[in-house]
Amino acid sequence: MHQIGAKVQRGERLDRGEALELYLHAPTSLLGRLSDGIRARKHPDGLVTYIIDRNVNYTNVCVARCNFCAFYRPVGSSEGYVLGFEEIFRKIDETIALGGGQLLVQGGHNPDLPLEWYEDLFKSIKQRYPAFRLHALSPPEVIHLSRMSRLPVPQVIDRLIAAGLDSIPGGGAEILVDRVRKLLNCYSKASADEWLGVMRAAHHAGLRTTATMMYGTVETMEERVEHLFRLRELQDETGGFTAFITWSYQPEHTELGGGEATGIDYLRTLALARIVLDNFDNLQASWVTQGGKVGQLSLAFGANDMGSVMIEENVVRAAGASYCMDEIEIVRNIENAGFTPKRRNMHYELLGDPIFRERDVPRMLTLAVARADGDASRPPEIARYTARSAAEKKARLTGH
Amino acid sequence: MAAASPDLLSIAMMADEIRRRMHGTRTTFVRVFEVHVETPLVALPNGLAAGELRIIGRPASLDAAVTAVRAAAAPRTGVPLTGFAMNDLERLAGTTGETLAGICAALRDAGLNGVSELPVDAVSDATAATRTARGAGLSVMRLTVQAPDDARIPTLVLARQLQAAAGGFKAFAPLSRTMSVSAPSTGYDDVKHVALARMLVDNVASIQVDWALYGPKLAQVALTVGADDVDNVAAVDPGTLGTRRSPIEEIRGNIRAAALDPFERNGLFESLPS
Repeated sequence: MHQIGAKVQRGERLDRGEALELYLHAPTSLLGRLSDGIRARKHPDGLVTYIIDRNVNYTNVCVARCNFCAFYRPVGSSEGYVLGFEEIFRKIDETIALGGGQLLVQGGHNPDLPLEWYEDLFKSIKQRYPAFRLHALSPPEVIHLSRMSRLPVPQVIDRLIAAGLDSIPGGGAEILVDRVRKLLNCYSKASADEWLGVMRAAHHAGLRTTATMMYGTVETMEERVEHLFRLRELQDETGGFTAFITWSYQPEHTELGGGEATGIDYLRTLALARIVLDNFDNLQASWVTQGGKVGQLSLAFGANDMGSVMIEENVVRAAGASYCMDEIEIVRNIENAGFTPKRRNMHYELLGDPIFRERDVPRMLTLAVARADGDASRPPEIARYTARSAAEKKARLTGH
Repeated sequence: MAAASPDLLSIAMMADEIRRRMHGTRTTFVRVFEVHVETPLVALPNGLAAGELRIIGRPASLDAAVTAVRAAAAPRTGVPLTGFAMNDLERLAGTTGETLAGICAALRDAGLNGVSELPVDAVSDATAATRTARGAGLSVMRLTVQAPDDARIPTLVLARQLQAAAGGFKAFAPLSRTMSVSAPSTGYDDVKHVALARMLVDNVASIQVDWALYGPKLAQVALTVGADDVDNVAAVDPGTLGTRRSPIEEIRGNIRAAALDPFERNGLFESLPS
C-alpha cells in the first residue's frame, strides 16, 4: 500500500491491479489524501468551478427499459410525455434569467421522435438563442437515432452538429463492462464498445464530451476499476473528455431495486477515479445524488467542480433523490471549504464570479420538473413527424 | 487553529486515530421508537424492534408529560423509556411553579427511566440539573447541542466541563438538533465539528451522530472522523424504503462499509445480543 501511495504521489500511473488494491484496502483517509494531492497539483489556484445550466428531459418515453431506471415510461403509457418546442423555449428563458447559458438535453429512446425532430429542435433553439449552448444526447441516444435513421453514428453526429449540437454528455455509460450491461438490461441500448465508439466519433468530429459512471448496482470492484481504465484509454487516444462525473445508483421505484451505495463508497470511488483518471482535468461532485454535505466533502476527495446548478432534474428524482442547491448554496459550500468559486462553461472556460453577486437572482429551493403533474398535453409540432409506434398512431387518430 | 483550518483530512485523521484508540472498530447504534408528547402512545406498532422508547417534544404541562410517560410505559416492554430534553423540564418547572426535582420524581413514578438529552447550550445550570434528575431516580446519559454553533469550541468545552463536574454521561452528540433552512451547516462544518468534539471532549466515551436527523450518508462519514455511536435508527420499517434494505440491515451495512463493526445497544447504553 505504501508503495502504491508513493507511486501516486510521484505522479506515476497505476495499473488495474494497483488501483484495485488501493480501493479495496487503503484507508478512506489515505484515498482522500492521495486524490486531494492530485487535485491540488492539477488546480493549484484553489478555484472550484460550477456551471449554471438546466437539465431538460425532452421525453420519458423509452424503449430501452433499463432495469435501474425509474424515469422511463413505455410507449403508450398514459404517463409518457414529449415536451413541445415552446415549453423548451420557456425553460431556456428561465435558465437565462438565472444566469445560465446552456441546456443539458437528454431523454428516453422515443421511437416517435426521428432525427429530424432533434434537428428541428436544435435549429429552432439556435435561431432564437444564438449564443445558447446545447450539451445534448448521450451516446445511447445517438445510437438510437443511428438505428432509427439507418445512418452511421458519425453521420448522425455531423447532422446534429450542423443543427446546433455543441457537446455530448456522458450519460448512459453505467459500467462499461458488457457482463454488467446485460444484467442491467442496457446492453442493447449500447454495449461498452458502442458507448466508447460514439464518444470517439464525437471527439473526432471536434466535439468535447464528458464521461460518467453509475456504480453500485451489480458490478464487482474489478468491473468498476475496468470502467475507469476504459475511459482512461480513450482519453489517451482522443483527449476529448472535459470531465468525469460518478454517482451512485438510486434504487427507489426501479425494477432492479436493492439498496444504495453509501456515502463512504461514493467518496472512495470518487477518490479512486481521481487517482486512475490522471488524464482527466476535471472531476465533478454529484451533490444531486449524495446531498449537499457529501457533495461538498467531494472537494476533499478529488473533485474540483461542483457540477451544475441544474435548475430542473427528473431522472434521479424519480429514483428517490431530491436534493437541491442553487447558485447561492453552491457558492456558500465552495467558500466554506476554503476554495474560490468561479462560473464556467462546458469547456471549463471561466466565465466569472457568482452571478448573484452581480445582480439579483431568485432563490431556488426546489428543482423544477419537466412538466406539472397531470399535464398530458401533446406538443403540436409532433404531428409533423411520421409516427412509428402503434400507440402514437392511435393517439393521433383519437387526439389523445 | 483546527476549527478554522480548511485541511479537513488532517483534522479527520487525528480524530479517527483517537476514536480507534478508544474503541477500535467497535461502533454502537440504538434503534429508537419516538412518541410525541402531544400524541400519547395508544399501542405499539407491529414489528417494533426498539432499544429505546423516547418521548419527544416540549410538554405543555406536567400533566401532559406524565400522561405521555404513563401511556408509553403501559405496554411494559422492558425497553428503556426516556423522554424530554432537560431544558424543557427546566422550563416546565419555571412555568408550573413545581420544582425540577418534583417534576423528575413525577415522571419517574409514571414509568420514565431517563431524561433523553441534556443540551449543553440550553440549560442554565447543567450540573445542578443533572444531579437533581439523577437524585430523583432518572438517568441522564446523553449530552446534545440545541442550536447551530458557529463558535464551536465553547460548546465543546461546556460538554467537557459538565462531564468533569457531574460525570456519568455516556455520549455527546455535537451536531446541533436544529438547523437553518436557508443556510444549513455544510459537510465540512459537520465533519470538523465531530472531529473536534472527539479531540476536545476526551472525557466522554462516545461521540454520537443522529441517523435520522443527519441522514445515513453524513452519519456514516461521521463514523470515520471521530464518532463511534449512532443514535435514532428507525425501530420500525416505515415501508418507505420500498425494496431497499430494512433499517437494521442498512445501519449494519453502512457501518461495515466504513470498515467498522456494528454492535446494537439499548437506551441505557447496554449491549444487546446481535
